[in-house]
Amino acid sequence: MRTDPVSLASGAAIAALGALVLLDSSGALDVSLGWIAVALSAALGVIVLVSGFAKDDSGRQD
Amino acid sequence: MTDDNPSIDRPRGDEPPAGEPPTEPTAEQPTEAQATEQRPAPPPASGPRRLRRSSGDRVVVGVAGGLGRYFNVDPVIFRIGFGLSVFFGGLGAFAYLLLAVFVPTDGDPDRAQRAGGRLQSIGLWRGLALVALGLVALGGLFVLAGGAAFAVALGWGIPVAIVVIALGALLALTARSGGARWLIPPAVAIAMGAGVAAASDVDIRGGIGERDYRPLSAEAIPADGYGFGMGHLVVDLRAIDWAQERVVNLDVDLGVGQADVFVPASVCVTGSTHVGAGESLVAGEQDEGTDVDNDVASGSAAVPRLVIDADLDIGQLRVVNSDTADADDGGYGPGSFHDDSALLRDAQARACAAR
Repeated sequence: MRTDPVSLASGAAIAALGALVLLDSSGALDVSLGWIAVALSAALGVIVLVSGFAKDDSGRQD
Repeated sequence: MTDDNPSIDRPRGDEPPAGEPPTEPTAEQPTEAQATEQRPAPPPASGPRRLRRSSGDRVVVGVAGGLGRYFNVDPVIFRIGFGLSVFFGGLGAFAYLLLAVFVPTDGDPDRAQRAGGRLQSIGLWRGLALVALGLVALGGLFVLAGGAAFAVALGWGIPVAIVVIALGALLALTARSGGARWLIPPAVAIAMGAGVAAASDVDIRGGIGERDYRPLSAEAIPADGYGFGMGHLVVDLRAIDWAQERVVNLDVDLGVGQADVFVPASVCVTGSTHVGAGESLVAGEQDEGTDVDNDVASGSAAVPRLVIDADLDIGQLRVVNSDTADADDGGYGPGSFHDDSALLRDAQARACAAR
């Protein structure tokens, strides 16, 4: 079965967000609200971007 | 006349006999090009003029192009209107969406038209049910995000972070077997709630509710000050004998909510305050946003003096130097909330200038 790029990219982005929360909660990193906003926007951007490309690819195959 | 050669619309009686070469055009007989130019436009189709999205003049889905053609004005005007409306409530964007879905295109049916057709085929009640279902799903995502934020604020940041990482890993692992895209919205919602709560350093372990403290002397104030998790905290220091106490130190620590500190108008407010996200109004000086830090009258030796160290994660912090203000009332006298802050600034200037 073909790898689903949307699930793969979303999983990586969400895991990265989780790592950021983990580092902040454990005190290893002090993440400000501004930086978390940037990280969340970047994660959502990656998900939307990959979804768009994936849709485009499937459209070309039709 | 056939569709293959529509340029000449010649009466049948004028056609040359079979086998006879066509006659050269004369001054009275126009050429084919002239005939094409002179041919009257086809009669308009019966019925009202139809609004169609333009398939040729389009930037997104041809709504502005279609409206421009329908009203015989430059479509750029509609484009600018739709663009500007985004910054004024977004009603134009909503109208654009409706027009894109429900107004057919003049060319081959595009994606928006197919979506509109599907919506129309669903019917009103089914459509409303779908909208309700969508709202419930959206509400569920908000509950997930709020729950994650609440858990982090309760000190469970590490377990929640591990859950988020596990959800991400699960998504990535399922990618090879077709993926689990349905998991993306809830996982993102949990990550968002946890991320915002962790970054805000929200801590609501101190309890939830409403606390009202009115100490009668500086000795009655706890050494570690006043604070709790979430709710409304009121510390009213106006019953203290400031002529005797001269300088009072106060620590305030609130996770989420509103913290109000009251001192008499004759007291100079000094110290530092921090608001993670929200609004800070200290002795009439107003700031809002994220990570709002305020050093108030630092270095002032005026007496009587309050030396405050306040920390609020999310919400509103007010240090009110007024003899008449009430915790239950937003204002400090006649007029609206913000107009009255000038009174506080004036009182602060007078109090901090006194020695």
